[in-house]
Amino acid sequence: MAGMTVIVRTIARLLFPFTFIFGAYIVLHGHLTPGGGFPGGVIIAASVVMLFLAYGIERAQKRVGFLHAEVLESVGGLAIVVLGLFGLLLGITFLQNVFPLGTLGQLFSAGNLPLLYLGVGIKVAAGLILIFYAMLFAFRGGEE
Amino acid sequence: MDFNYIIAMLLVALGLYCLLLKRNLIKIIIGLAVLTDGIHLFLISLGYRAGGIAAIVSGEMLSDLSGFAARAVDPIPQALVLTSIVINICIVAFALSLAIYSYRHYGTLDPSKLRRLKE
Amino acid sequence: MIPHAPILAIVLPLFAAFLMPVVGILARRRGIKRAREWFAIAAVLVELVIVVSMLPVVWGEQILVYQLGGWQPPWGINLAIDGLNLFVAVIVAGISALVVIYSFVCMERDTGLDQYYTLLFLILAGMMGVALTGDIFNLYVFFEIMCISSYALVAFRRKWQSIEASIKYLIVSSLGTSFILLGIALLYGMVGSLNIAHLAQKLPLEPTSAIIVPLALFVTGFGIKIAMVPLHMWQPDAYQAAPSAVAALFSGATATIGIYAMVRVVYTLFGAFAIGIMLAALGLVTMVLGALMALTQRDLKRLLAYSCISQIGYVLLGIGLGTVLGVQGGLFHLFNNAIYKTMLFMIAGAIIYRVGTSNMDRLGGLWKNMPVTAMLFGVGALAISGVPPFNGFASKWTIYVAGIEAGQPVFTIIALIMSALTLAYFLKALNSIFLGQRPTHLKNVKETPLFMLFPIVLLAALCVIFGVLPQLGIDIVRPAQEALMNSGGYISAVLGGA
Repeated sequence: MAGMTVIVRTIARLLFPFTFIFGAYIVLHGHLTPGGGFPGGVIIAASVVMLFLAYGIERAQKRVGFLHAEVLESVGGLAIVVLGLFGLLLGITFLQNVFPLGTLGQLFSAGNLPLLYLGVGIKVAAGLILIFYAMLFAFRGGEE
Repeated sequence: MDFNYIIAMLLVALGLYCLLLKRNLIKIIIGLAVLTDGIHLFLISLGYRAGGIAAIVSGEMLSDLSGFAARAVDPIPQALVLTSIVINICIVAFALSLAIYSYRHYGTLDPSKLRRLKE
Repeated sequence: MIPHAPILAIVLPLFAAFLMPVVGILARRRGIKRAREWFAIAAVLVELVIVVSMLPVVWGEQILVYQLGGWQPPWGINLAIDGLNLFVAVIVAGISALVVIYSFVCMERDTGLDQYYTLLFLILAGMMGVALTGDIFNLYVFFEIMCISSYALVAFRRKWQSIEASIKYLIVSSLGTSFILLGIALLYGMVGSLNIAHLAQKLPLEPTSAIIVPLALFVTGFGIKIAMVPLHMWQPDAYQAAPSAVAALFSGATATIGIYAMVRVVYTLFGAFAIGIMLAALGLVTMVLGALMALTQRDLKRLLAYSCISQIGYVLLGIGLGTVLGVQGGLFHLFNNAIYKTMLFMIAGAIIYRVGTSNMDRLGGLWKNMPVTAMLFGVGALAISGVPPFNGFASKWTIYVAGIEAGQPVFTIIALIMSALTLAYFLKALNSIFLGQRPTHLKNVKETPLFMLFPIVLLAALCVIFGVLPQLGIDIVRPAQEALMNSGGYISAVLGGA
């Protein structure tokens, strides 16, 4: 894939930070507003895929390689499991909240929920980029 | 008032039709997506309440929790649908990957032709 | 019991699955050979220990209820483990452990093993989740995890057969899981709960048309997964195209999970009213068609796939009879089927590993090259056909007696005839693979590698042990049967009398 014209590239480059931050916002405010890890992760993945389409796969691959995505996906998954194990070790059951609850409506509140959403967001974003790669290479990669 | 249930079942029927009778892999996958979306619409309609509010406690709702509970929509179907959408994305992505692979390497989107190509 | 064993049994394979790519990358960087394989074997053995550690508690007439996040049922998701859950979980963990050990050699010529082991552990996590959860939507989600991983495993070798089989499997099975989701949606709309015990408590006991629809959807959905005739068309293709280790896992563990889900829903949720005898009839049809189709196959793996359909028919027949003896026989047969079917697929894999084909027309006279394998195949063939003194005889005999006791002698007669047919097609397979003329190009074929032989020998030993001591098998099955027929106990244990 060679990439597109200079207009598309410029617009994509301009849009990328906004899309990315919007995705991050949705992920981080998952416990307060509609949305959360999955929609936010999808938006982040979409911002990266937009760059892929505009600049061509070869240039994009240097920034977000297949390996990066694979490792990030594992990290996201492991983060969720480890958070659950925290509840098991420090609390009574798996996934039980062991963090301070904070005040309702604040960003730093709701115990382990924002952290869980962060894990989910990373995993979804990396996973969707992986799926995109896998389709591009028609099966060089793994599948969820 | 019951339109969404009727439309949900229509979508399910449409999806089934596509899934069972089309020979093109892409159309079959679309049928699968439509079928599941019909079920999602059905599920989400179950939790709908006319004039209800989103099931998110914030600000002024805090003081009136029982009033909130009486007005809020049922959040469980929404959670179920979200989970199901995620699962469905995985299935559709995987199916599309298979379709791409089948098309690139064997030049066909008709699953029943794959066999005839090689024998 | 290991503390928190129920949740650890689900989380550990998930953890291993996510860790597997990292282990693979690290091992390649450091140049450590076979790190993934040893890691996988270690993880799966720990899993087996965790599951087995729950046995004493559950066999002591106790139902383990584990609340996730500390939420009380029916509001939170909970894991509820009675005799039946644990019976299935032990089968799944045991078979998976043997399959992972078997994969060590069987898969060594393939590339992309990171993905293979990740998918294997995802499928294990899905199966454990289905086996241990007490929440119907949770069951659906884990069922889907299991299904998606299995589509990918079928397509793993990326030949045109596997792509075609995977597409077929994906379409049919997704249709089935959509039906299950629709059934859950209908139940939720009717009762407003997702906890299996809570649902069972609130659903009326007598059949009304509103209950029949979700029941039919569930039976169809799970029926597709266990390849019940007439929903079986995906299964032979998938088993043939999948790598042998994966086919062994499917036939031993995944089919067991499908049966478990169906039985749990039919018996506990709906309280086996009119469905019982229908299940038995479907089992009968499945048994007959599977056996007839198996007779004409020329490929060993395809033959085994059809015989798998036929054996599942026996299980359904036994469970569908609904008597104590019938359910005992059905579950015992499920247990035995997992043992010898896994073993036979492993032998097929060994033949493919050494010779390169499982087409029976191109094989012959292999007993001179592979005497141990030939003997083990003989044990498996006799066990599956229900010849004493192997385990298949014990469970089939129980089902025959149960059929007569339940006043259905016709079922017993048909089952007996099908047993003879099973013997016929397995003798044919034995004859064309291991006896007869040996083609000249097969002269230098060696015996199966020891590491591959180990799980097969273990399974063969189990076949003989449960054949000689059938009472031992019945003792293992009894807690599961009692749990299945005592849905009141399950409900009160989960809801705490609430």
